[in-house]
Amino acid sequence: MEIQSLYKLKTKFVAREVGNELIIVPLSGNVAQMNALFTLNETGKFIWDNATDNNSIEDIVMLMTDTFDIDSQTAKKDIDTFLQKLETTLV
Amino acid sequence: MKPLWYNSSTALKLNQFSLNIADFSIKLYSESEIDLEEGYLSFLSNTQNHDTTIECFSDINSPIFENKNLVFEAANEIQKFYSIYKFKTDLGFVIYNQQNINEVQQTAILSKNFKHWQIFAKPDEKGNLNPLRYPMGPIIMQYLTVKSEAVMIHASCVFDGEKGRIFTGFSGTGKSTISQIWSEAGNQVINDDRLIIRKTDTGYFVYNTPMYYRDSPKKAPLNSIFLISHYPENKIKKLTGAIAVSKVLAFCIQNNFDRFFIQNNLDFLTALSTQIAVYELGFVPNSSVVDYVLSNETV
Repeated sequence: MEIQSLYKLKTKFVAREVGNELIIVPLSGNVAQMNALFTLNETGKFIWDNATDNNSIEDIVMLMTDTFDIDSQTAKKDIDTFLQKLETTLV
Repeated sequence: MKPLWYNSSTALKLNQFSLNIADFSIKLYSESEIDLEEGYLSFLSNTQNHDTTIECFSDINSPIFENKNLVFEAANEIQKFYSIYKFKTDLGFVIYNQQNINEVQQTAILSKNFKHWQIFAKPDEKGNLNPLRYPMGPIIMQYLTVKSEAVMIHASCVFDGEKGRIFTGFSGTGKSTISQIWSEAGNQVINDDRLIIRKTDTGYFVYNTPMYYRDSPKKAPLNSIFLISHYPENKIKKLTGAIAVSKVLAFCIQNNFDRFFIQNNLDFLTALSTQIAVYELGFVPNSSVVDYVLSNETV
């Protein structure tokens, strides 16, 4: 997924910071998706916060490896998992 | 098994009256006589200042929403409850007959500031005008909460004279069962199905709302929320932070087509979770759960 798509995807959710975590709730046109909200841990919150139109996926990978004790392969995998979860929630 | 709708004989006919539900004041009026279901009778009040006014009409002049912007549908595989449309700057509601979902039972317009409803109701076969007929009544109650420090939640609540305890969970997890167990232990059941939680100057309170049966208005201070499930033994775990907020939110009644509604719920529950204990409670459906909770809750 391109960063523009991720940034656009973010607009379909409402986020609320609670401590070091983030709750994100999808905007939804029916009752069936009401329970689709989920919480993001520190890593998920970091990806969410840095998913702006100024950052590419590679930029976020670099920011993650600078911030957390992980290699770029793990960071990329975390981002992919995160994006898949967001997309699945909106289906 | 409780019916999803209430359609028996009505108990009162009035042109104008006020209701007090969860300390929200509502005025209903119409040129025709309004049939008020039994469940609302205990909620009649003499309040002069109203949070919401509801103007009721026969359905002859119902607004048409079909070519408007559909923003929300409350439906599942077996049931269709209502649809919401953007209607100019207002919201338009189409409510379906729960015994015949192809039949529109009411249409309604909610003003932009959420202070005024117009309800166009189809008179029943006897000519009775019942604008609050299910699910219209609960929809109005829900929209009382969306611009207030309040939420509506599928849950039961018991009150021991000092503490109010809410039990919530998925359908079939035992909300009514556990409230019955606490009732047998001397607690008052506030309600075992649908509640409103409000923040007031003196703390958080839980209220019952009109049901299909007659019950008096009840209110209790809220001390704790239990997310319940059946389990081979009684087991409790305190939740905090985002997990506590998100798990309680999942059982609140929500129309999540509007960013503001979601934000309001998240803000309300985030603040609530700093003062009200939230637990996961696996329980055995007998009286042992009462002593277990009293011994293991931390507030």
